[in-house]
Formats: sequence, C-alpha cells, structure tokens
Amino acid sequence: MKTAVVDLSRYCNNRGIQPPGSSGEYGFNIWGNTFPAEELPEPGTRVGVCGVPFEFPVGAAPSGDNVRCRGQLVEVPPGDYDWVYLLGAAERRTEDHLGLVYADGTELAEHLRMSDFWPETGSRFGEPLAFRTTALRYPRHTHTPHEPSIWQQRSPVSVRGRLRALRLPDNPAMHVFAVTLVRDDREVASCASN
Amino acid sequence: MRVELSPVRYWRHDLSHCLHNTAGVLLDHHGLDPVQALGAAWGFHYPGDMRREEYYLPGAADDLFAGLAPHHDISSRWHRPDDVEQGWRQVRERLAAGEIVGVAADNYHLPFRPAYRDVHTNHLLAVYGFDDARGEVLVADPTPPSYQGPIPLEEFNAARDSGNPVVHERDMFFTSNPIGNRWLEVTVGADQPEFTPDFVGRVVEANVRGLLAPDTPSTSGLSGLRAFLNRVGGAPEASPVDADEAFVVIGPILAVTGLHAEFLSRAGHDSGDRRLAELSRAVDAVAHHWSALRIAVATAGTPGDREGVRVRADRLVAAHERAAALMERVPASL
Repeated sequence: MKTAVVDLSRYCNNRGIQPPGSSGEYGFNIWGNTFPAEELPEPGTRVGVCGVPFEFPVGAAPSGDNVRCRGQLVEVPPGDYDWVYLLGAAERRTEDHLGLVYADGTELAEHLRMSDFWPETGSRFGEPLAFRTTALRYPRHTHTPHEPSIWQQRSPVSVRGRLRALRLPDNPAMHVFAVTLVRDDREVASCASN
Repeated sequence: MRVELSPVRYWRHDLSHCLHNTAGVLLDHHGLDPVQALGAAWGFHYPGDMRREEYYLPGAADDLFAGLAPHHDISSRWHRPDDVEQGWRQVRERLAAGEIVGVAADNYHLPFRPAYRDVHTNHLLAVYGFDDARGEVLVADPTPPSYQGPIPLEEFNAARDSGNPVVHERDMFFTSNPIGNRWLEVTVGADQPEFTPDFVGRVVEANVRGLLAPDTPSTSGLSGLRAFLNRVGGAPEASPVDADEAFVVIGPILAVTGLHAEFLSRAGHDSGDRRLAELSRAVDAVAHHWSALRIAVATAGTPGDREGVRVRADRLVAAHERAAALMERVPASL
C-alpha cells in the first residue's frame, strides 16, 4: 500500500480542537463545542487509523485545525490512487459529493458519507472510529463524561487516472480533519483497458 | 409517598431533538413502537408559527402529539399552571394516578445537562415518578448526555418555573421564552394500527397526497416547501427568513425526515418490497440535505456562503421531488 498524506493546513477554516483554559475563536459546531486538545495527539503528529497514516491534528495551520467543507479545491500530491481516506465528523450525519479532479482537468464525483460527531451517536455509515474523547468542551466549561467522535471515511477512486486535487463537498455540516490518498499495491496487474 | 412508573426505557433517534426523544419514551411506555408512530407521517407544513422552543413542531401548537403521530390515535394537551406550586401539584397528582407526563424545563437548572448553571435554554423531558421523603423527582431524558433517575425537587421546580432569560452574548435559539411550568398530558387510544403492508401503503398514499395536493399550497406540501426554501435562500421576490427562524424550523423537519426513512426501511425489510427500501434511501438523502442546509443557514456569513444556501435549497427541493416521485410508485395496497 502506498500512501500520500495531504497537507490541509492552508485550507483549515475552523477551530474544533481546543486546549484547556483557552478562549477565542473556537467552535467546531455552531454551538461553540470543541474537542479537548489534551485528549488528542499533538498537532502535526503522524497517526495510524485502521492501518492508514494521517497527519492529525494538522500541524502549523494558521486558521484552524479542520476544514468546514464549502467546496474547497484541495491540491494533492499528483498520482494514481484507489482510495481517498479522511478523518472527519459532521454536525448531524450527512452525505454529499466529493469531487475527484484529474490531471486533464476532468472532475468526477464520488459519494462521501459522514457520521455525526455528537456524543452517544454511533457511526451511521459504518465508518471506523478514529478518535473519541471523554469530554466535550463548551464555551465556558468542559462537560464530562460526554464523548464526541471523529470517524474515518473513505471514498473510492472508481475511475482510474492521475489525480491532482479533491473538491470537498459544498456542505458546511461536514468537517474534515485529515486526508490521505491510498494506492493499493494488491491491484490486479492485468486490468489495463483495451 | 413514592411512585416509580414503568416501563420507562431509553429511546432516541440520532436526528432527533428532545421533542422526538421524549415523545419516544412516552409512547414506548404506552406500548407503542416510537418509529412506527413518530415515523409514519412525512411531508412539509410550516404555517409561520415558529416558537423558540426545542420542542416546537410546525403547525402543531394545539395538539403536539397529534402532529407527531397523525396516523395513530394519540393526542396531547399542554397544561399551563398558575405558578410553581400548582405546577408540581398537578404533575404529582398525575404521577400518583399512574400517568407518565412530559414537562418543559430550563436546562440551566437540570444538574445532568451540560447547560447546568451556564446557559438558559428550554427542553422537554419525561417524568415517571417521585419520592416525597427524599424530595426527588424521577426524570427520563434520552437526549445526550442521556440521564434517567432522580433529581432534587427543588431543581426540578426551578427548571420548570424559569424565565429562561438571555444571559450570555449568544444563547442559541431556544432562550428568552419563559418555561411557565408547562406540562404535557398525553392520551394514547386503545386501538392503534398494526405495522402491516396495508398500513404502510395507506401511510405512503396519504403522505404523497399531502406533498402533491396539499390543503394549503402556500405553506404545505412541495409547493409550500419550495416557497419556504425560496425565502431561506433569499430569492429576490420572497420575504426573507432569518437564520434563527430557519434553524428552529428545520430541526423538527430533519428529525421527522430521518424517522420516516427509518419507518420505510423497516417496512421494506419486513415486507421484502424493494420499492420501500429504495424510497427509504431517497428519504434519508433528503434528511442529509436538511442536515447540510441547517448548518449552511446558521453559518452563512459571507455573500458566497449565502449563495451556497440557495444552491443547497435547490438541491434539497430536487431530492424531495425525487422522493415524492418514488412515493407515487408505491401502491396504496402493498
């Protein structure tokens, strides 16, 4: 398996991970709730989730730690991939289109389904759990036990070709913390089209 | 005296708020399947009666539970006591008579809510008993963080008697609406429909009729939906809906849509009818559009964001129309 970790730092537009005692422009959801930073890895850490490496939380991002999806065009290391893996969570479960942008400019849509981050809410779409904290931060206090989740999604690259970018859904209920592209070396070799 | 009514079980749907969660607990207590009762009706109806209550359901001010479960013999009545003493006396009497009730409360005074001593906001929960000697009331609240058990009567009364004031700069959506010690009497008839293909067929037929030929086209059905979303999307000819109004109205619509998808999924599973499974998937897709639109509206800070709201609204209408077309293919007699 070959992987390419995507640098999301310049696309981040939402602060959903909050250190204790901090204040300011935090608020994963519209209510201002956040994940407690002390229960998650340090920014820039390379973590493995179900065998896929991610940078989580994103390192050195000036404007946040995740991308609230508004159709951003995210450049990726050009290459042939089989899967787009993500770490994400939604404000109520939702689904939308993830655009795959190929080297020739073609843009094709795949489905992306994302489960709710809210405590006591399971994975609706069968996504593996990536992270779950024991507490949920509120604007003026931290409530525990109250356990929000971040899930691992994946979308297939159904049409083979050289990818150069992803078009995130224009769906602000979706938050993406990390993206890694995966090429599966177990691919059948004799599949070239005639 | 001590009263603890049973059964009282946890029930929650993931797209619901306290309204449907508490309704599910109450109906389950009465022996009804919450998804079958709360998930049967689906359509659109917003007569402009938005109230800043987390237990608001569009168009159901007079009889909340008849609005929640119109295909069942269920009704409810809000009681509005004069003061906190009368409010507790009435609820206690009902509990002593063996009747579980719903009460409105301010989360600020409920010790198990995250808003405790922080944020005022109204909420709905079930009450299933009390213990006079211990000065406690037994409450069931499946809305996360879920809790079922005793709380001090003093806090319970404070929560019900709260003026629900705005304290912080931005207490969201459900504040500034006094609780007023309201409590909810729910009546469940003895004769309820079975979850049969015939019942499901009749439900779908009624739902599609409500979508395509509503009694009040300007506020109901697909025409009412289009009109509402034109306003949400800021169409030039439409009177605008502000973000708070849109968010509050969309909340219960999202819940009902998710519950109806679940209803259809179960019906399709039980009957093996693939049309119901396909319709369930289409309705779930509508729910996911509502999830997106609700947040798009609440976070639309720039002209680009507001254009995104308009696009999302159009996509939601298209998804709804697709679901309605699939509904028309489901025969009334399955």
